[in-house]
Amino acid sequence: MARIFGIDLGTTNSLIAMMDGDRPRIFADAETGNPLLPSVVAIAPRGETFVGERAIAMEPHLTVERDGRIHAVGFEGGEAGAVIRSVKRYMGLGGAEVAAEDRHRYSFADFSGAAVRFAIGGRTFTPPQISAEILRALKARAETATGEPVERVVITVPAYFNDGQRQATKDAGRLAGLEVVRLVNEPTAASLAYGLNQLAEGRVAVYDLGGGTFDISILNIEGGIFEVLATNGDTHLGGDDFDRLLVDLLLEDVAPQMRLDRHIWNSARGAAEAAKKHLSAHDEAEMTLRLPDREVRRTITRVEFEGLAGPLVERSLERCRMALADAGLSAHEVAAVVLVGGSTRMPLVRARVAELFGREPLCSLDPDHVVALGAAVQAGVLMGSRSDMLLLDVVPLSLGIETMGGLMERLIHRNTTIPTSVTEGFTTGVDNQTHVDIHVLQGERELAADCRSLARFKLGPIEPQPAGLPRIEVTFLIDANGILNVTARDQRTGREHSVDVKPSYGLTDDEIERMLEESIDLGEQDLEQRMLIAARNDAAQLLGALSRQLGEYHSLIEADERLKIEECASKLDRARHGTDRAYISSLVEELNRLTTPFAERIMDRAIAQALEKKSVEELS
Amino acid sequence: MVQCPSCARPCEPRLFCQKCGAPLGVELDLFAALGLPRKLRLDARELERIYHETGRRIHPDRFASAAPAVRRASLNSTALLTRAYRTLRDPISRGRYWLELNGEKLAENNQRVPAALAETVFEVQEQLAELRAARDGGADALGAALRERRAELENSIATTQEELQRNFARWDEGTGERQVLLNGLKSALSAIAYLRTLTRDVDRALEGAPAGLAG
Repeated sequence: MARIFGIDLGTTNSLIAMMDGDRPRIFADAETGNPLLPSVVAIAPRGETFVGERAIAMEPHLTVERDGRIHAVGFEGGEAGAVIRSVKRYMGLGGAEVAAEDRHRYSFADFSGAAVRFAIGGRTFTPPQISAEILRALKARAETATGEPVERVVITVPAYFNDGQRQATKDAGRLAGLEVVRLVNEPTAASLAYGLNQLAEGRVAVYDLGGGTFDISILNIEGGIFEVLATNGDTHLGGDDFDRLLVDLLLEDVAPQMRLDRHIWNSARGAAEAAKKHLSAHDEAEMTLRLPDREVRRTITRVEFEGLAGPLVERSLERCRMALADAGLSAHEVAAVVLVGGSTRMPLVRARVAELFGREPLCSLDPDHVVALGAAVQAGVLMGSRSDMLLLDVVPLSLGIETMGGLMERLIHRNTTIPTSVTEGFTTGVDNQTHVDIHVLQGERELAADCRSLARFKLGPIEPQPAGLPRIEVTFLIDANGILNVTARDQRTGREHSVDVKPSYGLTDDEIERMLEESIDLGEQDLEQRMLIAARNDAAQLLGALSRQLGEYHSLIEADERLKIEECASKLDRARHGTDRAYISSLVEELNRLTTPFAERIMDRAIAQALEKKSVEELS
Repeated sequence: MVQCPSCARPCEPRLFCQKCGAPLGVELDLFAALGLPRKLRLDARELERIYHETGRRIHPDRFASAAPAVRRASLNSTALLTRAYRTLRDPISRGRYWLELNGEKLAENNQRVPAALAETVFEVQEQLAELRAARDGGADALGAALRERRAELENSIATTQEELQRNFARWDEGTGERQVLLNGLKSALSAIAYLRTLTRDVDRALEGAPAGLAG
């Protein structure tokens, strides 16, 4: 039986881990030694993709804006490419559901009904397709480290993810050629990592503030059973939002049109993130932003930052109170509080959480690693190596159907242990009706219109009969992944009805099949071969870009610098036709290092030109 | 007898196969699902023990690599187990399920005020109206009176729950005529449901939140 690996597919960083004997182990990047893979994906003009540090390195090349579109600098033809961060914020959302502050970040196909799609270089990409790139990179990393194929995985998701977001995560796994054996809620995974070593027992609260999402789960851990009592959260509250507070501060005095420039915004975001981290250990931080015409500096004290961040933290605490109420507990009845997610490094967060629960929170396991460690533990449980442990999770949001008059009738209440099912009888409203339309909803509001549309389906064909006579039993089952499955049966004939559930925003099976066919299938080739191809692609990519840049921007380079670069480039050009992968990779790295100053000069000029053009347009 | 999807041997319809322990995935009544006789008085600790022990045995986590039919059986049986535990653990939902087993159910939405509660309901509604009208002045004293009222409601709930337990005992002992017991069960359940709604309204008023939103 193939081994199961555990994956933390995070907003900011992603990790892969497995059980090594009775301990979970995280795989680090073979070259950098970094266990965190930045959840950043670059799509280059010809469709090549880069993930992690390499994608970040692409950012300056891909995010220059001209004529209101993102254009790539340094690639053949100058077509558009993009670097996508925090794709998790877009998973499983319909266009209209994308948060206002997330809309201007990228070019999207449209914001109407269907699933949101990124528009990049004349092509469109769904969030699961982008996430699949991250999963592929993690898969390759673990394969390199273990020498065994990675085919079956556990992927963690925020506990407060709705059905569509969970489905989208599963779709991403499928697109990456992985069998997603189980989706596990992030705070629950964290509790497994703590519970494995009896670091936390009894009633435990897991406070998980990640890069983009917030979860609170209250569990009872006893005798190897991890039973979630209640969960709550906010899928749009995380480190990104704290960064944004500082970005706004830094861009306060910058002209509005410059603030919208993606390159400037990205630089500001980088400065903000660095300042936020610095403030976790210092009383003061300075943010610097280089604009084409000047430099903006802004000093911020921790007190000032905490004043801004207070309302965001309070939002998370309100969710904690709701979860406690649902669990029927008061804050002091909790025996341990566990901190998860990089954002819990902020002293303000720690202090406020300690205050709410009246005890110091635990953080003995690295808050950036603990979810991946727990995912590996659950993978071990699924492989049968830990039959003493059992995880009983809950559904985070109520599930129901739209009834006459546009009301939401709740069939499965939030915080019900999963898997769970409920059977509901349906009949016809008019004579000889042959179909019954059912609209499935998720949410806590009374009006159907205020809940999230999950799916629609048609029951039938029903034999023509007088109204109210047919009896169809529909079973709504939420599986251990928190995903809805629907079956229907005619009570009179006992015949099973086929139920074709059409997800409101997700992808249909056909769409996934098509995407699978479209994606370059390297799955059949062996690992080394695949890595060699990747290295060759990198080399070709870099050489192509370089030769164009050397032509177009010859005035920006000194003769001796050019000589060194060309020497290295010709070595790489010879090497890339050979089979020594390590040698090719080391030359790519060397060439990247040599060309960095040159690339920076190109970037500066491109920005200056773009801004010049803008100001000319404004004048005319 | 049903056939076990795992070992293919015939066995009694239960949550799991008595021969190999694998889940059977068959539909059962909620008492049978937990292997319990049809009795209304249940020990919460014992119920939890059965739930956890059975869960460990049949949960989908145990069958992640099994054949599709076994995985499906595990999913269905575990969903049934969860439903049985959640329904029977709470005396109110257990009572409601008992009505269902006896072909009866409480009126939808429970709009009619139980006669014994009519006076209390009237008084509470009056107090709530006064509090709403006096948002700016004199709200403190009214709030205090309402908090006192809330404690009384809690008391009534406790008393009615004792009544419910006595009704359960009579069912289990087989003392009393069926229709009388059914009526007693129905009136206790609807009184509790009504008192709970009332308590929630009071809580909302005390929090200052408009009644009828969220929840």
